[in-house]
Amino acid sequence: MNNLIFTIGWIVLPFCLGFGIYLIPKLHKFFALFGAIVSVGYALQLLVSKKTFVFELLDNFGVTLILDELSGYFILTNALVAVAVILYCWRTEKTAFFYAQTLILHGSVNAAFACADFISLYVALEVSGIAAFLLVAYPRTDRSIWVALRYLFVSNVAMLFYLIGAVLVYKSNHSFHFDGLVNAPPEAVALIFLGLLVKGGVFVSGLWLPLTHSEAETPVSAMLSGAVVKAGVYPLVRCALMVEALDPVVRVFGVGAALIGAFYAFFERDTKRMLALSTISQLGWILAAPQVAGLYALTHGLGKSALFLTAGGAFPSRNFQELQQRSIDPRIWMVALVASLSISGFPLLSGFAAKALTTDRLLPWQDIIMNVGAVGTAMVYAKFIFLPHRQQEQASEDRKNVAPGFSMAAIFLLVGLIAANGFYIQAYTVGKIGKAIATIVLGWLAYFAITQRVEFKLPRALEQFEHLIGVMSLMLIVLFWMVWARSGI
Amino acid sequence: MFLEACVLATTLCGFFGIVLKKNLVMKIVAMDVMSTGVIAYYVLIASRDGLFTPILDGDQTVAYADPVPQAVILTAIVIGFSIQALMLVAVMKLSRDNPTLESHEIEKNNTP
Repeated sequence: MNNLIFTIGWIVLPFCLGFGIYLIPKLHKFFALFGAIVSVGYALQLLVSKKTFVFELLDNFGVTLILDELSGYFILTNALVAVAVILYCWRTEKTAFFYAQTLILHGSVNAAFACADFISLYVALEVSGIAAFLLVAYPRTDRSIWVALRYLFVSNVAMLFYLIGAVLVYKSNHSFHFDGLVNAPPEAVALIFLGLLVKGGVFVSGLWLPLTHSEAETPVSAMLSGAVVKAGVYPLVRCALMVEALDPVVRVFGVGAALIGAFYAFFERDTKRMLALSTISQLGWILAAPQVAGLYALTHGLGKSALFLTAGGAFPSRNFQELQQRSIDPRIWMVALVASLSISGFPLLSGFAAKALTTDRLLPWQDIIMNVGAVGTAMVYAKFIFLPHRQQEQASEDRKNVAPGFSMAAIFLLVGLIAANGFYIQAYTVGKIGKAIATIVLGWLAYFAITQRVEFKLPRALEQFEHLIGVMSLMLIVLFWMVWARSGI
Repeated sequence: MFLEACVLATTLCGFFGIVLKKNLVMKIVAMDVMSTGVIAYYVLIASRDGLFTPILDGDQTVAYADPVPQAVILTAIVIGFSIQALMLVAVMKLSRDNPTLESHEIEKNNTP
């Protein structure tokens, strides 16, 4: 009983604090930081105790909450990213509105990680969509409003499909619980998965993500890429674990996303767009092995938000060609280096542990493809690692442009990246270390071989608004076929 | 079966409206049509076993409608309504510089 009250208190707290900010606007930063730190504490308690809590409120058609180690990792990701973003904004002139929306976004993503029934999840995802819309539109320029509107439109249409799927699950089970998918008809699974794939930015349905994440303000993109997209990915992982028949479907999308994301990201010339595209590929890695998705989500969240804050808040330019021609302050480069190495899976950083754990749990058919994906990731992040960095006269001028809270947020995230090693210290065997280093070296060699020779620009037609909507209908057919073929009716 | 087909047709009409209409406001209206279809489907499923409003009044023999989908879709209606309000505000802001509200033009002007 105590656990239930504690959990509900934790879910409600960010919303109370978020609205409380409007009553006491002067305390906005402190409220926001407090809300995020409480979540860190809650997640750590879940991870340390390794217990599983299942709460069913109001009978079988009411709200179901499941909290275990997996959700603990996701909650910790969300909380740490939120703390870093608040630290980053600490000395800026952000208004109470910004902090209130950040807290509400944080709270809704937390709720998505806690619930295990389709309607609570729907509400959590829609609230996160609204809060994300308000944060993206925060600068109130035409461009930001359009980007935010496009995001809300795409996610709302996807959620309408999802709702149809949810009622079909109810029809066959008299309950909205996740495990009802076992008895649900294939069209229900297809509709629900379509909604979650779009919301989570996975595979082709995730192509709304590059523009949204790159055009949002830097702290907002860090939060969107680090935590918010995972609210769509987590239910997919949860469903794959609960319903065995869906595990292969989720894995196929994971592999597809890992490859397509890395491919797009490699040929991108804009730093923030490249990071957003690489998010698609990393989300694929999370889905590729659902049993161990938690640790990967955590390390990706920390690494990616650090990189977003660096690329958007500390680099003198967003264009790779310009960055190649001038020199970056070595200290800023160090932050990008550590985060990039972690995502590439370099030993000593927790990205290595996560990648080792994921590759252990891959099925035989995934093995080779995901290794290609790992080389692709190393190729993509070589772009950051091999940027020129020397102390120069103009460096002091560049340093003035660095956002004031950057160093605090960066140190916080990098310490987190190293500390997260503790979750899977068994990864450090000679074989795995050797393989990781070989993968990275191979990726770097490929980077030098290809970037020196190939100049290539990928078309962006698929990112147009109408295509994003149209692709949903195609994905629906593909999903239906996949689920139907597996169910063997 | 016939009613189900009608509901599906409404949803699809809305979906194609979002893709095919050029004007941003029309797209939002089309999205509303689509959500009307979804809401109607919930109501239809709620009425599978009966049509009576589920109010307990001693007489247990009446075939009641299922209250759960109705309760759930009420939440979804409110959320959909608030999202639409937000979208229309955004469109109002955009209309100052793009008075025709053609989505192609807005997209072309605002994509880097």
